Amino acid sequence: MVMKELINLSLINLTLKAKTKQDAIEELATLLLDQDIVDDFKGFLDDIYAREAIFSTGIGYGIAIPHAKSKHVKKPSVAFARSDEGVWFDAMDSKNANLFFMIAMPEDGTNAHLKVLAMLSRKLMHESFREALLEAKTNEEALALLETMS
Amino acid sequence: MKKIVCVTACPTGIAHTYMAAEMLENAGKSLGVTITCETNGSIGVENRLTTQDIDESIGVIIASDIRIDKKRFHGKPLIEVPIYKGIQEPFKLIQTLLDGHVKPYQYHED
Repeated sequence: MVMKELINLSLINLTLKAKTKQDAIEELATLLLDQDIVDDFKGFLDDIYAREAIFSTGIGYGIAIPHAKSKHVKKPSVAFARSDEGVWFDAMDSKNANLFFMIAMPEDGTNAHLKVLAMLSRKLMHESFREALLEAKTNEEALALLETMS
Repeated sequence: MKKIVCVTACPTGIAHTYMAAEMLENAGKSLGVTITCETNGSIGVENRLTTQDIDESIGVIIASDIRIDKKRFHGKPLIEVPIYKGIQEPFKLIQTLLDGHVKPYQYHED
């Protein structure tokens, strides 16, 4: 499996409107709902919040990765959003998050996508990659960056 | 070159595990230390530490929010922290081992 099987142009939003963590999560989940990846918005959000309750997925470095394994997810997917202003996400380093990756995984199903997500996670730890994502001007540019897996 | 072995793990095991591994490996490169990092993610255990890896290391860093079997690290200086410390403070963790004040870990049966 490759990244483009998990994400597409319609799962990218470079102008997140949210000002709060909750709004950011719902805006991301809406991308998944609109693409018919999530079949129960409320149920999916409950699973996302259950994970956030363990500890915030605001991992610092301006990144948040709300994620859930959920029976309300039809196929493994990633939604990507960016907020130039930043959103308070209760991050480990107390900084606002600008880059949001919502990772939605079905409860059952194969593990094929996990290696892709592992690679993405590693790539996000590189400042040059984060900066490129912050500078992407279009969804196409952002998608091309995400699909470049080295 | 000095060697340090690491284990990273998190409850869901899809992102933090690999972020911490990447940060520790990169910090190791900057500090001139060879880092071997075992990831306990939902893929399963990858890059499993060998007895030789552990024997040759000057110490162990465990960045995990789940329980890790530590028997194999008996006698090694060992630092155990929550996963986010592996992501946020990789340099500090490695430097602490390099400074040499970490006590050898003593394994006890539960």
